[in-house]
Amino acid sequence: MLSYILRRIVSTLPVMAIVALFVFSLLYIAPGDPAVVIAGDQASPEDVERIRQSLGLDRPFLIQFGGWVWRILHGDLGTSIFTNLPVSAMIGQRLGPTLSLMTVTLLLTIVIAVPLGVVAAWKAGSLIDRVIMGFAVFGFSLPVFVVGYMLAYIFALELEWLPVQGYTPLAQGFWPWLENLILPAVALGCVYIALIARITRATMLEVLQQDYIRTARAKGLGQGGILFVHALKNAAVPIVTVIGIGIALLIGGAVVTESVFAIPGLGRLTIDAILRRDYPVIQGIVLLFSFVYVLVNLMIDVIYTLVDPRIRY
Amino acid sequence: MDRRTVLKGLAGAGGLALTGISAPAIAQGASARTLRFVPQANLANFDPIWGTQYVVRNAAALVWDTLYGIDSSLVPQRQMVESEQVSDDGTTWTFKLRPGLKFHDGEPVLSKDVVASLTRWAVRDPMGLMIKALQQELTAVDDRTFKWVLKQPFPKMLYALGKNNSPCAFIMPERIAQTDPFKQIGDYVGSGPMKFTKAEWVPGAKAVFEKFADYSPRQEKASWLAGGKQMLVDRIEWIVMPDAATAAAALQNGEIDWWENPIADLVPVLKKNKNISVDIGDPLGNIGSFRMNFLYPPFNDVRARRAVLMALSQEDYMRAIVGDDTSLWKPLPGFFTPDTPLYSEMGGEILKGKRDLDAAKKLLAESGYSGQPVTCLVAQDQPITKAQGDVTADLLKRLGMNVDFVATDWGTVGSRRALKTPPGQGGWNMFHTWHAGADCTNPAPYTAIRANGDKAWFGWPTSAGTEKEVTSWFEAKNLDEEKAAIGRLNKAALDDVVYAPTGFFLSYTAWRKNVSGITKGPLPFFWGVSKSA
Repeated sequence: MLSYILRRIVSTLPVMAIVALFVFSLLYIAPGDPAVVIAGDQASPEDVERIRQSLGLDRPFLIQFGGWVWRILHGDLGTSIFTNLPVSAMIGQRLGPTLSLMTVTLLLTIVIAVPLGVVAAWKAGSLIDRVIMGFAVFGFSLPVFVVGYMLAYIFALELEWLPVQGYTPLAQGFWPWLENLILPAVALGCVYIALIARITRATMLEVLQQDYIRTARAKGLGQGGILFVHALKNAAVPIVTVIGIGIALLIGGAVVTESVFAIPGLGRLTIDAILRRDYPVIQGIVLLFSFVYVLVNLMIDVIYTLVDPRIRY
Repeated sequence: MDRRTVLKGLAGAGGLALTGISAPAIAQGASARTLRFVPQANLANFDPIWGTQYVVRNAAALVWDTLYGIDSSLVPQRQMVESEQVSDDGTTWTFKLRPGLKFHDGEPVLSKDVVASLTRWAVRDPMGLMIKALQQELTAVDDRTFKWVLKQPFPKMLYALGKNNSPCAFIMPERIAQTDPFKQIGDYVGSGPMKFTKAEWVPGAKAVFEKFADYSPRQEKASWLAGGKQMLVDRIEWIVMPDAATAAAALQNGEIDWWENPIADLVPVLKKNKNISVDIGDPLGNIGSFRMNFLYPPFNDVRARRAVLMALSQEDYMRAIVGDDTSLWKPLPGFFTPDTPLYSEMGGEILKGKRDLDAAKKLLAESGYSGQPVTCLVAQDQPITKAQGDVTADLLKRLGMNVDFVATDWGTVGSRRALKTPPGQGGWNMFHTWHAGADCTNPAPYTAIRANGDKAWFGWPTSAGTEKEVTSWFEAKNLDEEKAAIGRLNKAALDDVVYAPTGFFLSYTAWRKNVSGITKGPLPFFWGVSKSA
């Protein structure tokens, strides 16, 4: 297993390199120029050109790309064109809020979605099933920003229970940290709760029709034991897969959520960097996201072996 | 239903629900000594010479001081300077600094710091460049005295040193000011009333300023960038909020104290809240504009440019930008900021009265326009440019023009407009923008009014009459001469259609009622602003 994990990690390197080259090329050919944004609206073309030169943006593609790769190989993600700060420091600053948001969202999703899916499968065809699946369709259909504004209106403006925006680091206390994350996590989690609840239901329905479930019932095993020990464990592989894919998708969802709730995370940093054409920051984030994506896939593969001993690498 | 509609509806509902006095939110509770402010944009960098965005200038005005400061009458007043002398022939300016000025690192402000700062500024500022072109020497005479010797007089010297448009002549320590003006500084030490706390800076999210205990304000009453900059709060937090509905909700909820520029859609909601004050932020407002490219047909022919001017309705543009609140805009038959000393409508008839589409079509035909595509660049990510672009596209179609509407983002417009290639080969025929009214009070900071061909701003207009009157203004010896020059300039620029003004518009600012001392001005002034619990 260890050698498999190592092989997988090593195999991510060319993937990341290809992603990096792809992203770098896209940015290079895309219209837009950070020097223009820096110089401001009233700047002369000469000023813009001088800024381009000072940032090295006038150099040929291969030299820019080569320089970037060289720096990466030396552990340097570069310096932001706009802030003059190291990209690694900027990403480090933004990682905490995004990780917090994703963690709370993921926990919320699993805690709510899996039991809902199990209950829906157990009561398949009943009113409870229809209500749960109805909510799932609703949650799946609503855009994150609509849910976000609705939650902010009800729980922040009307009831005044929770803040509208912002982020407090965990170091400043658990509740201050959590209170800023509840609304965004619910907003972001809605889609995933719906998705995972539906997948759980479908997978559970299939498993519940298996012979060993009938045997368990015949042996007089309790409903809870059947559902959560025998059935859920055997239904876990596709559920884990969807949760894993969900983590990757959460990164995309975080972009909107972080904007709506003014959370200073990586999503907002990405959008800001793209709008300003802050190339080193975009490249750094893309590399990070690629790495996270690969790692999540690796973790899912490892979890497969834990929930289903028949799977071996 | 789009996102903006949902946002408006929900924010509106929230506002209605909160018209009574609300109980404090859980998140509220920040000290009354901390002012939480939502700026117009993200403070993405912090070098006010290297980058000239307004938001950088606004933050820099807290941290760095200037030798002179423009007051609310648009007159430069002494700020860091104690006295100045100009030689009889007008070529030698000798300045003396106020005693006791200190930088945030405790070091005294010396003449060598001023010399280095002005040297860096002069490379990047249009007025600085003019002074630099006349410069014989700029030297420190002693620790508090410095001298600027010119080859010929430059009567607008004090205005240049105190002007509020970017880049302002901010004074930095010599070691920082020696940075290449095209490279960014990384050390933010100034001598202004607030210190920048770099450790708390999260670009794109938050910037924090703390009161500088050793700041020695002038004794006069504060007036814009001039006078005694008395800080009445200990800490100012700039919180960047990209989403307008979130900012509106946070203001209503008391999580922020002051929102620099609420969008027009949400102003009615804020006005209904008893805890919030809403007023015009900047009385100098903004001038909407679109620029036509003088290099290529059809707008290389003045008749085509005039045809567009004859047909355009400024009301259409203004309503598209600010909505139906008629108190927020006024027609502008000229180029200079209304209600400022040099405002002129001379030659503005072409923009007044009933719009004559038929006459405009006839003039366009006379220009030789034969249906070729007109490439119109429109940044969709900026509500003001998008609104103007939509109106222009309709206008051009009604004129019978073949519009190649390029809907893109501001970053792309910004780089594409610099291309001098023909429109079919990556170039363009027109783009939209707007100018801060503070930059349009006279020709010195007004890049868009210059019409010196290749050296001019994007669009590269050539208008000998306009350039002649710009020179006349710079050489004017008194206000009457200045006014006369500006009147002629306005007419010449309209005759040649240096650009198309689409109207003058104002925007609001909003703050909690426990905040007092907010003044109207071209940038948010924090001195004199206090907050009660």
